[in-house]
Amino acid sequence: MIMSEFWYYRESKEPEAKKFMENKPEPDYDLSYSIGERDFVNTGKASSEIKLALKRLGVDNTILRRVAIAVYEAEINVTAHSRGGNIIANIYDNCVHVVFKDNGPGMKDINQSMEPGFSTADEMIREMGFGAGLGLPNIKKNADVLHIESQEGANTFLELVIFYE
Amino acid sequence: MNNQKEYFHAIKIVKENCTGCTKCVRVCITEALRVRNGKVELLNDRCIDCGKCVQVCPFNAIQTSADKLSTISKFKYKIAILSSSFAGQFSQKINYRAAKKAILQIGFDEIAEESMVTEVISSFIHDYVKRHPKIRPIISSKCPAIVRLIQVRFPSLLPNVIHLEAPMSALAYYFREKVRKEKKIAPENIGIFLIVPCAAQVTATHQPEGTYKNLGDGAISAQDIFREVMGKLQKKEETEKECDVFPKGLTWAISQLEAEQINSEQRERARTMAVSGIHNANKVLIKIENQQLETFDYIVMDNCTNGCVGGIFNIEDPFVASSRIKDMIRKGATKEFQTEYFQNLYHDGKMDVLELKPRPITALDSSIKNAINKMKQIDEIIKKLPGLDCSACGSPTCRALAEDIVAGKASIDDCIVLMRRNRQGKKL
Ligand SMILES: Nc1ncnc2c1ncn2[C@@H]1O[C@H](COP(=O)(O)OP(=O)(O)OP(=O)(O)O)[C@@H](O)[C@H]1O
Ligand code: SF4
Ligand code: SF4
Ligand SMILES: [Mg+2]
Repeated sequence: MIMSEFWYYRESKEPEAKKFMENKPEPDYDLSYSIGERDFVNTGKASSEIKLALKRLGVDNTILRRVAIAVYEAEINVTAHSRGGNIIANIYDNCVHVVFKDNGPGMKDINQSMEPGFSTADEMIREMGFGAGLGLPNIKKNADVLHIESQEGANTFLELVIFYE
Repeated sequence: MNNQKEYFHAIKIVKENCTGCTKCVRVCITEALRVRNGKVELLNDRCIDCGKCVQVCPFNAIQTSADKLSTISKFKYKIAILSSSFAGQFSQKINYRAAKKAILQIGFDEIAEESMVTEVISSFIHDYVKRHPKIRPIISSKCPAIVRLIQVRFPSLLPNVIHLEAPMSALAYYFREKVRKEKKIAPENIGIFLIVPCAAQVTATHQPEGTYKNLGDGAISAQDIFREVMGKLQKKEETEKECDVFPKGLTWAISQLEAEQINSEQRERARTMAVSGIHNANKVLIKIENQQLETFDYIVMDNCTNGCVGGIFNIEDPFVASSRIKDMIRKGATKEFQTEYFQNLYHDGKMDVLELKPRPITALDSSIKNAINKMKQIDEIIKKLPGLDCSACGSPTCRALAEDIVAGKASIDDCIVLMRRNRQGKKL
């Protein structure tokens, strides 16, 4: 089984984003959460709290909105499509870096998953109002960096970075 | 850093009456109250004039301040505009038309009511919602407490707030023009007063945010007018003047009916929802901020129970008043009022409102670096605090106390529980 990988850098942010990804400095502040499989009652908590922390830092509203959307979609994906996992938000004075690690089952083909409209959501997930296949494209639209590693039968790792300016 | 601007509030504290019980501190949705040195203090930049504190204070230490009826004497020609909820204040025995007429005997020259234009304004809302398909949901802007809640706690949702004049403000515009033209009275001699169900509308009249820009002469409490009117009715003094009522339009007294009116028969169906009560509204706003309610087109949001019928200046219980108003709507006849005039106003952009600016209170510091440091200090203090959120320190929660300590406005010694534990520890 081959590990597949996906990288995206927003063009306007590429130089500073690459520098950040190479160095990955110690965060100034961090938050962590664990996510239960199909725990739709508590899902959304991590994205709300991460957003609130950034609000307390005085981060601009349009950025807050982007962080909220991207983190919420990724959080839902861990809840809906995996056996649970955890989220770590690394907060810096110029950006936020959020890492999602789950306990599998992984994706068959990341590029296919990234296609708008592609979804493997089952009846229950659709019943909850998810499964349009727009989550990952939406994350990409809002993030300055998006990196995914996944392997079918193993697990999925997703990280994203959003700069405040 | 957020304290530079002076905000008007129709809430005032009467320190002598305050016992420091902290009841108000615990109900305030924006954490705008503190008890310091045994007395309550209002944080001017946080208060949204919802009036919850006034309702819970057992000692009358937090009061409202509306304009007095006597202020109308400053004007030559005086007009009263009634909130729809006013109609629900009178029992079956008192005819609403008679009650409305009695207002002409307490000094007003003309009376108008919100219900005259709620139908036409609902049609504008429907049109606005259709013309802004990218913004979902759109949130109503009639309740000034809700608009302010969004400004202070949910500034990212300001674009969702409908930028359209409220009915009473649109009516003020109409009457000022009409009286100026027909009676040849200079605009400054025309006094237009709102008869309001709440402190929030008093505040909005004196310091409009977005909507309510056409008012400003004054807002008189529905309670004061009710008292005067009952006095006149009991004396059985009659006036020859006649006045009309508009029962079909009383819908905006009740959040649910206001939301349903958007979808009257001739209009294409929009997905609407009604939320009332400030704590309910806060919960729904969190969901909207998390993009969980984008399938709704329009959400009516009101601070008070059931809508304006629950306003603190109203005499009658909101459920009783709702039932009466529903009856009046059901039995009443449809009556048009200057529909074309308001349609022209709308199409000429005269119903547009001022831009809504955020009043953010959440940021800990104006520099992100400093804010991160403060956040860490706050976490350290929270670890020491008992986590009971008992408010005995005078701050609403343990987290709020930690924030107050870091802001230099309180001390860890304000925590009574910790102090007691420390003392016991020493004794051992
Ligand atoms: N953490 C994950 N583990 C396994 N598979 C995933 C994970 N995240 C996404 N996927 C796969 O990628 C597909 C597309 O994800 P995406 O978020 O774009 O859409 P969706 O979750 O199906 O629907 P929507 O996000 O619109 O509600 C999912 O249907 C699923 O097959
Ligand atoms: S009026 Fe409302 S917002 Fe203002 S202090 Fe009282 S409870 Fe708080
Ligand atoms: S809902 Fe309450 S606070 Fe809001 S406008 Fe109506 S009466 Fe006033
Ligand atoms: Mg998804």
